[in-house]
Amino acid sequence: MTVQEPVIVIDNLHKSYGKVQAVKGISMRVEQGEIFGFLGPNGAGKTTTIRCMLDVIRPTSGTLRVLGLDAQREKMALHQRIGYLPGDVRLPGQMTGKQIINYFSRLQGREPVLLDDLVARFDVELKRQLKGYSKGMRQKIGVVLAFMCDPDVLILDEPTSGLDPLLQRTFNEFLLQEQARGKTIFMSSHIMSDVEKVCQRVAVIRKGEIVTIEEVEKLRQKAGQRVTVEFGDAVSPDDLSRIPGVSMVTSHNHAYHFNVGGSMDALIKALSRHEVLRLQAEEAPLEEVFLKFYENPQVETTTTGTR
Amino acid sequence: MATTSISKSIAAPKKRSRGLIITRVSLDNAKTLLGAGAFYILFIALVIGFLYPTLSGINFSSYLTSNAVAGLVGAKLKNVSSFSSLIGVELYSSIYALLWGGIIAFMAGAALPATFENGTLDLALARPISRTRYFLELWLSAVLGAIFLSLAATLSIWLATLFVKNADIDWSWLAIAELIELALMFLASGIGMFFGSFINASRAAGGAAFGIIALAYLMNTFGTLSDKLSWMLKIEPLYYTQGIQALSEHSITGWYPAVLVVAGLVCGIAGLVIFNRRDLPTT
Repeated sequence: MTVQEPVIVIDNLHKSYGKVQAVKGISMRVEQGEIFGFLGPNGAGKTTTIRCMLDVIRPTSGTLRVLGLDAQREKMALHQRIGYLPGDVRLPGQMTGKQIINYFSRLQGREPVLLDDLVARFDVELKRQLKGYSKGMRQKIGVVLAFMCDPDVLILDEPTSGLDPLLQRTFNEFLLQEQARGKTIFMSSHIMSDVEKVCQRVAVIRKGEIVTIEEVEKLRQKAGQRVTVEFGDAVSPDDLSRIPGVSMVTSHNHAYHFNVGGSMDALIKALSRHEVLRLQAEEAPLEEVFLKFYENPQVETTTTGTR
Repeated sequence: MATTSISKSIAAPKKRSRGLIITRVSLDNAKTLLGAGAFYILFIALVIGFLYPTLSGINFSSYLTSNAVAGLVGAKLKNVSSFSSLIGVELYSSIYALLWGGIIAFMAGAALPATFENGTLDLALARPISRTRYFLELWLSAVLGAIFLSLAATLSIWLATLFVKNADIDWSWLAIAELIELALMFLASGIGMFFGSFINASRAAGGAAFGIIALAYLMNTFGTLSDKLSWMLKIEPLYYTQGIQALSEHSITGWYPAVLVVAGLVCGIAGLVIFNRRDLPTT
């Protein structure tokens, strides 16, 4: 692998199931040491892309390289260095947690060097048969299986699914520690709040096409501020919509809610012409930006974050 | 909840021997099926042993030499009162090729789809395991299951001979009969692996494989009933499975077992090619 080559390179990936095009020519790059979010609604093509990366399904066309290795032709060498967490962790009920860990550690051909740390960190039950495990407990086992042999690249399909908020926080802290150790993490999700805490960049996929690839920080700037103003005099929504940077104006009980992108200067000057009873501004939730991407791909189709 | 921090200097993971871990787990999954098969083999051998003093006095000639019964058991026997003939009818006839061949066909058919159903297929193939190795290890588990049933049959007959007076078992021919049945079960395993390579539900794949063995049994029965239907015999596997003739009459056609083995290889390799080429189902 050359020094400059990104850890994950996907070029013009297509995947069709008969007449159904699940993935339509997506391309992206993920750099070493990056936590990359892959966002999209259910059925958008996230899992299909991940399964192509693992050679569980074969692309119709396009190339996939991970760690400089072709995902199909050199998969044996590649799979020695990756960890995978599937979206729906199902495990054989008759085995215990300890047995399943031994099984997959042997299939990996490596000792599970991180096992003790992971078991302690996520409070994993190993002695019981897996058939008695809840979804969250199975998900914890899935996390252990993905990370235990200390792989260089982690491919995680909706990793926090089924984890309680406390464990989600523990998991996010763990991801950041792994990133600090130089690991590259590619994680899919359909929930923005899951990825915005840990990811540096995100790609949004909708109906098999990449809608945007962007740095999370830039998306935050785009989302701007969520402002609530309560007026003492009559103000029309059209007056507010005409203020530069103001969008998504709604009203409720004499209070107006809207987003402000960029500088607040024009808004403040406009408000000064009215009687303002209450003014509240907070960071706009990224969920709203992503919902726009999910619902309407014409909102923006940039790939400015592609490196 | 305990929290710890990962040490900055984690030793590189040591290599670990894989062994035949996929085969072992697959055999473990099939232990109930194989255990049931072994139990019935033992049960039948012991029952024949206990009943032999009575059975040996019964004249089965007209019964067992009829076309109808010959069709059911898969052979026309000349001497039907010896212990080896009776144990042959019970353990090495086509009825029992149907049952134990069916067990192996079902086991092999279910082996691969079961790993999809229990969620381990994706996780296993995301590790440095080729699809070919995965498939072959599962096939090996079915073949080992067949060997286990053959050994169970030999052991059961030996136990029966401990209390049967004048048991006329020729152990060399018993071994040959066992190898012939093993060849059939190898074919059954190949048929099972073939169906398991493209059917995603374990019971459907196992059932389809068992269905082929059952169909072969029906063809064997009808083919023996009438000369006009004898063409059926040569295109089904039980015709080439002469375990009962080997044990009872010490005669076989030498190349017949090779037909079973080659057919098993063809089925299994076809399954391997399909499994290697297909997209695996989404969980």
